[in-house]
Amino acid sequence: MLTQLKGGRVIDPAHNRDAVGDVYLENGRIVDAPEGREPDEVHNVSGKIVMAGAIDVHSHIAGTNVTLGRQLMPELPLMASAEGQPILPSSAAWGSYATGIRYAEMGYTTVIEPAMIPTHAIQAHKEMASIPIIDVAGLVILGNDDYTLNLLRTGNVKSDELKDYVAWTLMHSKALGLKVINAGGSEAFKFNARTFDLDEQVPEYGVTSRGIVEAMQQAIADLGVPHPPHVHTNNLGIAGNVDTAVATLEATQAHPIHLAHIQFYGYGKEGDKGFSSGAPRLMEAINKNKKATVDVGQVMFGQTVTISGDVLRQFTARAANPKKWVINQADGNGTGIVPYNYKKKSFVNALQWAIGLEIFLLAEDPWRVLFSTDHPNGALFVRYPEIFHLLMDKNERLRWFDRLPEASRQVSGLAGISRELTLSELAIITRAAPAKVLGLTDRGHLAPGAIADVAVYTDQKNKTKMFSAADLVFKSGKLVVRNGNVVDVSWGRCYHVDPGFDRQIENRVRSFYETYYGADPSWFGVTPTVSDRPDRFATIPCAS
Amino acid sequence: MDSTLQRAADLLAQARFPVFGGLFTDVNGAAAALALAQKLGGVVDHAASEGMSRAARVMRETGSTPASFGEVRNRADTIVLIGDSPRARDPELLEKLFPAKALPRPGDNARELVVVGAKKGKTPAGLRTTEIDGKTALPELVASLGAAIRELPFEIRDAALAKKILSTGKRLRESAFAVFVYDPAEIEEPVLHTVLEAVRHLVKTTRAATLSLAAPGNGEGVNLCSTWTCGLPVRTSFAGETPENNMWAFETERLLKSGEADALVWIDALDGADAAPPTRAFRGISSVVLSSKPVKAGRDDVVVEVGAAVADHDAAVYLPPIAGIGEVKATSADASKPTVADVLNKIGTLIDAKRAA
Ligand SMILES: [Zn+2]
Repeated sequence: MLTQLKGGRVIDPAHNRDAVGDVYLENGRIVDAPEGREPDEVHNVSGKIVMAGAIDVHSHIAGTNVTLGRQLMPELPLMASAEGQPILPSSAAWGSYATGIRYAEMGYTTVIEPAMIPTHAIQAHKEMASIPIIDVAGLVILGNDDYTLNLLRTGNVKSDELKDYVAWTLMHSKALGLKVINAGGSEAFKFNARTFDLDEQVPEYGVTSRGIVEAMQQAIADLGVPHPPHVHTNNLGIAGNVDTAVATLEATQAHPIHLAHIQFYGYGKEGDKGFSSGAPRLMEAINKNKKATVDVGQVMFGQTVTISGDVLRQFTARAANPKKWVINQADGNGTGIVPYNYKKKSFVNALQWAIGLEIFLLAEDPWRVLFSTDHPNGALFVRYPEIFHLLMDKNERLRWFDRLPEASRQVSGLAGISRELTLSELAIITRAAPAKVLGLTDRGHLAPGAIADVAVYTDQKNKTKMFSAADLVFKSGKLVVRNGNVVDVSWGRCYHVDPGFDRQIENRVRSFYETYYGADPSWFGVTPTVSDRPDRFATIPCAS
Repeated sequence: MDSTLQRAADLLAQARFPVFGGLFTDVNGAAAALALAQKLGGVVDHAASEGMSRAARVMRETGSTPASFGEVRNRADTIVLIGDSPRARDPELLEKLFPAKALPRPGDNARELVVVGAKKGKTPAGLRTTEIDGKTALPELVASLGAAIRELPFEIRDAALAKKILSTGKRLRESAFAVFVYDPAEIEEPVLHTVLEAVRHLVKTTRAATLSLAAPGNGEGVNLCSTWTCGLPVRTSFAGETPENNMWAFETERLLKSGEADALVWIDALDGADAAPPTRAFRGISSVVLSSKPVKAGRDDVVVEVGAAVADHDAAVYLPPIAGIGEVKATSADASKPTVADVLNKIGTLIDAKRAA
């Protein structure tokens, strides 16, 4: 069936397109304007905005850690509010099903779960398979596991074996890429460390955090995995940590790197309160390291729960609100779940909010500064439209800014920034750039051949309203949302890489798990039957 | 088979408030049961949910401090075993927790076992073991140990026992990684709180954690599946506009006794574990029984023979060694027997067809 989206303003920054025109869909793909054929279905979208379906590069939507968060805080959806208004109706709103529905209503068609635990990949994939409509992919966590650390033990770098181990892990967990969370820090926590810096050594193993990240960058580059290592660096959330972020950006210039939720590293320690915006300095470093991409991890005021494999950081930040927390000391990274309420009246929270926006607005190259809230850590994903509004409307920003504590306003540079993101720039940070960074070349744009994931919005001044409910959303060519409501619950696919490895690694890993865990690695190997849909998985090719 | 499933669909389509109990099944079976319960406005519960419910309540009130099985066996220097159930449930438990070969662990203490409130049992040879027992009840022993850890006074008449508790408190403060092992089905909620608070006191300076024994019958797997599906654990009702969890109200036995539930779907289909049916099950209530074993059901009940997960078909279930859901290959695959998921999904389709007609 040939479908025509007729006469909309088509915004496709991957092809420098921002003009009124038509978009054609057929057999799940975008196609050229056909000659001499009438479309079977025409949607008149004149006056509307037409974009590719949005892609979320970093959102915790599935897996052991997220479900541990659900177990700790089933009341989260009922406590979450925007401007004091509750925004989610029930505990089920945090379940898999509601996640896919709400994402689709906002025009999102692909979401990346950034923290699969290798030994728990089956749960992550089962959860992802129960999320309707959207396509998904998972990033698998390495860097605090004893197998990796043993390979990187001082003076014992067997780079080929690490490469094989990374490839095996990606294959075994059906992951799209690699996540590294506070490299070495979680292992150090197991030896009772309470802080861990870039050049500190992991007890017993001797390797530094810097050494782990560099080795992972090398392995991913050698394997030709399209998505660079997705790194959560040390010292998250600590005043003065902009030094760590800048040092990490300087240390990692040899190969591409993606730094996650960079807002949480944008902190200086100037001023009376020892906490200040490090955004200008951070952005200078990001603007300089052209091989680095980041996502922002914007904070919004309201109740949330922080979920992180950075167990050391979560432990030191365990002063929770409400007062309950989980520290899960597990194989590899472990997890910390700490409820948190970002308060507009808090000096620090207000500044965090402003720092995130500063990062977006000081980015010279929006292709390298991607949108995220690190859902649910900075804010729930249902808050995205409000953030788009803040980025695109200076007056809206000032309206919020004026209500912040005076102390925060005085030390923030946000009010002095008059930039407003254009629709094209928004399409870059929410579509084109995530697709590019992830190596998902068939999406994030509207050229013929691309997957027919398309979102249509009513252009209006109130961007919160505009992006809360898409007029139309097509997923793989199928109309799934009309007037902000899901009209057809379809099921998406899961993308992963399979770079290949020397089969000897399988025996080594099996012997390691049998000896130390009494476990058989086949137990946590993800096979296509993890979902009951036969075409669930698709492989993204690697360069080598 | 088709006529059996049609009878099951007819029976359930009429139900006002069905309860899905037992749920000794794999994760796919749990997902199918949740989907059908949602469709029918029923309840999901698990036959071993008592302990899980206690743990869930404590979790919701104050959180938790779990350690994975792998971390405990590789890195704990002091393991405190509470109650009889852990060793009764797994006679090899201590051998697994004190392996000959382990990963690098913190501190240089020799590894040590403390047994609290348990009958004399087998302990690994050569392992230094302290038994804290006697006539004192388990809650009091744990409370006293909690006080000793915090260097607070406690009252134990037996002077020798009091001395042991005192020195154990000291050892735990000096441990590099102390882990408390228990079965939440055996110990009461206040004791769970006491243990958690002891851990939270210890972690101010050192490392400590809990290892809660997994519920039988893939209880954790089913509970996790319920949580990611609808945001809530088992003992959840889908009768209202939004799902509602209530550990007391939505317990199978109570719903049957009180007559609130008017239909029962009983699922018992795991290799190596039997879900004991509720006392008055299959009597005076319409039942659909999915079982991999012979069943004594009532005349009007619908009984569907299904494969046993892990034996007859590959199955995703909770596996303690990896502290999570893994997939186990069938020992002697028998494709002639349907899975719980197959059967429940088909019943769901038949109910849809009936409603559409
Ligand atoms: Zn994250």
